[in-house]
Amino acid sequence: MNFIMWRARNVIQIVLVFFLWDSVFSDPDRVVFGYNRASILTYVFGILIVRAFVLSARAVDVAGEVSSGDLSNYLVKPIDYFKYWFTRDISSKALNLVFAVFETILLYLLLKPPFFLQTNPLYLLGFVISVILAMFIFFVILFITSAVPFWMPEVAWGAQFIVVMVVTEFLSGALFPIDILPRYLQNILYLLPFPYLIFFPLQVYLGKLGAMEIVRGLLVSLFWAVALCFLMKTIWNKGLRVYQAFGR
Amino acid sequence: MIWFTQTKLLVLFLTGKILRFVFFATFLLFLLKGANRLAGYDANQAIFFFLTFNIIDVLSQFLFREVYRFRPQIISGDFDLTLTKPMSALFKSLMGGVDVIDLVTIPPLFVAVFYVGSMLNPTILYSVFYVLLLINGLILAAAFHITVLSFGIITLEVDHTIMIYRDLTNLGRLPVDIYKEPLKGILTYFVPIGIMISLPAKALMGLVSLPGVLWSLGFGAIALFLSIKFWNFALTKYTSASS
Repeated sequence: MNFIMWRARNVIQIVLVFFLWDSVFSDPDRVVFGYNRASILTYVFGILIVRAFVLSARAVDVAGEVSSGDLSNYLVKPIDYFKYWFTRDISSKALNLVFAVFETILLYLLLKPPFFLQTNPLYLLGFVISVILAMFIFFVILFITSAVPFWMPEVAWGAQFIVVMVVTEFLSGALFPIDILPRYLQNILYLLPFPYLIFFPLQVYLGKLGAMEIVRGLLVSLFWAVALCFLMKTIWNKGLRVYQAFGR
Repeated sequence: MIWFTQTKLLVLFLTGKILRFVFFATFLLFLLKGANRLAGYDANQAIFFFLTFNIIDVLSQFLFREVYRFRPQIISGDFDLTLTKPMSALFKSLMGGVDVIDLVTIPPLFVAVFYVGSMLNPTILYSVFYVLLLINGLILAAAFHITVLSFGIITLEVDHTIMIYRDLTNLGRLPVDIYKEPLKGILTYFVPIGIMISLPAKALMGLVSLPGVLWSLGFGAIALFLSIKFWNFALTKYTSASS
């Protein structure tokens, strides 16, 4: 039931974004923020697919396990907790992807938007690599926010609410393409990991970036994946030292 | 200690809510800067739709927060205790607890509505229409929440229903005019987000006639009446199975 509702909520959100941009681009020849009707509506449909890859993650439950003390069950077992959750994440993404493809086809048939199909294999390769890096970055971000309950067990969901439901939702490009913002704001955002979750992979797919920009973006994604992974391990090591298995 | 914990929670969720508001408002401002108009509305008008959505959304969360705590009562059978008390079980389940976080955000939101609304130069009559339809929007929100409670009694499911309601009302962050038929019709009459959120804002802009206002008020009254009927029906299905 949780899963179906999560999918239904994704679709409702896409409907809002779709009609918002459909309204702005009611004139098919209009070009705003460097997008035409086909590219912006492809971006909207792309959100549905990329979200299924990147933002659907079972690791959102980790904070609850730390806060309830259920983490202890894993600490005494000979398994790697991170790899365990990463595996669960991958299986969850596979399931979400199946539904996302079905929803995309259904919405495409219902709304009949113009669609930009990328045929350049280099852009497609860049898109796939950027999505894989984005999946890892989001997983690590989730684990970092999930460490908050080590110090404040009662605010397990508070940190995730801010980081996942508010900051990631807006700054990743899951609601609007980042490049509608003024240049100075974009430059600040590009220094953060969030635009590399949704916005950057879709820019690569749409062919809006040159080869050097794609390579640079992939390197920044890689930097964030490594840096955040290091940060996550440091925080978790410190967290495990103060972990008192509250609730057990 | 409990006070400290609650303060931390309040600060976290308040920060999250303010950030979400600021992010969407910023997006809307820059969008309208580039696109000039949205479904025929200028920047101030579009922002006013968004603020009106927030007023109804925040007020209904503030007033009807107890709905979010209803499911455990049904599951555990604690709802029996509510039924035995000499007060309306509906009132207790609907408005038995308020959300302090929303109390903090309501005053600045009213100031923003007043400020942006005054820039639209409304007449006194249109302002009265706006207030009436805003109250009607809250009545419709109450009807929604009563229906969610009633479904909760029958199906033991509240959390998902209320989140779907929240997502549907989110479609009212922007004027319903951006949607195409049949979705626009559905959002106006079937899931009356249009009457609940878009119509008050339109009334202030002088886009709603007196018969339109009266019709909407009648719609709100009927929706509330039907939701209470549904609640009474749902109560007959309550088995108190877990107690």
